[in-house]
Amino acid sequence: MHRLIAFIKQIYVVLIFLLVEGVAIWCYATSTPYTESKIVARVSVMGGAVSGVATDIKHFFSLPRHNRELTARVAELEQMLQRDWVTELSDSDSLSGALVDIDQLHFRYHPSRVVSMTTGRMRNYIIIDRGTDDGISENMGVITPNRELVGYITACSERYSVVMSVLNTSFGIGGCLTENDYSCSVRWDGGSTHYVELIDLSTYAEPKEGMLVEVRSERMPEGIAIGYIESYELNPSRTAYSARVRLATDLSTLDNVIIVENTHYGEIEALMDGVE
Amino acid sequence: MYRYISYSWMAVMVVLVQIFLLDNITIHIWLRPMIFPLIVLLLPMEWRTIWIMLVALAVALVMDISLGGAGLYTLTLLPLAVLRPSVMYLTTNRAVEHGDQTSLLSRLSSRQLMIYISSALLIYHAVFFMVEALSFANPLRLIMTTLCSTLLSVVVAWPIVRIFMSKVRGR
Repeated sequence: MHRLIAFIKQIYVVLIFLLVEGVAIWCYATSTPYTESKIVARVSVMGGAVSGVATDIKHFFSLPRHNRELTARVAELEQMLQRDWVTELSDSDSLSGALVDIDQLHFRYHPSRVVSMTTGRMRNYIIIDRGTDDGISENMGVITPNRELVGYITACSERYSVVMSVLNTSFGIGGCLTENDYSCSVRWDGGSTHYVELIDLSTYAEPKEGMLVEVRSERMPEGIAIGYIESYELNPSRTAYSARVRLATDLSTLDNVIIVENTHYGEIEALMDGVE
Repeated sequence: MYRYISYSWMAVMVVLVQIFLLDNITIHIWLRPMIFPLIVLLLPMEWRTIWIMLVALAVALVMDISLGGAGLYTLTLLPLAVLRPSVMYLTTNRAVEHGDQTSLLSRLSSRQLMIYISSALLIYHAVFFMVEALSFANPLRLIMTTLCSTLLSVVVAWPIVRIFMSKVRGR
């Protein structure tokens, strides 16, 4: 109470000024129809402007929530797309229909959010807020809502998972050129965080600058972009091309991601283990 | 010690000149001189803001009632009362300092006083005519009315200021 009184004592001049000015404005505004209409119009404009700014601020602070909702929606749509694709395939082609099990979708999508990440080291990792409690396990792929490669999961706890980022010198994944389907391997050389290295591309591939490179891996579906070829050259033994690929996504601004689960991954892994 | 009797006479004279002379003569549409802000401008700078505001409120109420301003004079004169020290500092680079023995106004040179009064009257006229018009549809008229009225106000007010200040300094 004492503090309140002390505070009022400090600002009482301002309060009296505002009070008297307010009364004067009211008297003046109501004195004639002209002043009333003019002042009401001005106050409405100012009120509208203040309200607009307040709405913008409110909207800005609600952006993270909207992002999460959008990511969840993207994951849901990806799932629907996958279901439609499987249905279409089974309906249109009897052989494919026999091979595809509609009840068991090949890929499932789980929205997630980045908790923390590094980009300045040789081995960069991303921690996301989904774990084994959410059905997440190792080796699941991680992409952005725009279908761009992020990495894959290497460790899980009950509530969190660790993603090996594409910006990790231990990371490696298969890729292919979208225009001619020639396969290659992609890895990061520890240099720029915007570029990765493409190796082992066939000499018949005829790479071009600006050509899109996509993921070809059992961890992810088709159509996941890695990046675009910026430059390429034949290796010294002239047996394969290598290229410098600009990443499709800027990993330093990553916020929402989608975890991709291949329901056949365990089967594929067991098969490969048996072969090896 | 500020000369309160001289100040009171000056205030009464200014109000009477404003109400019975300046507000009743029509020379040109651009000429609407107002010298009553002098009552606020010539108050001792050492006074506390609340007292300045109360004097300004009293003057503005008299003007509103006698000239039918409906709050317009109060609305425009009170900000001048609050901004008066800033106007003084910006125009003359002088401010009230702790331990001053004589009134700040009485220490100003004629030139500084002229600049201070002219600037304050210009600000007052500009605010008054803008609030009165509540529109920028005719900016030329607004500017010309402000400039011409301020000029005439300064011409009328300056002898009053000189007489008042000579009384204040002389005693």
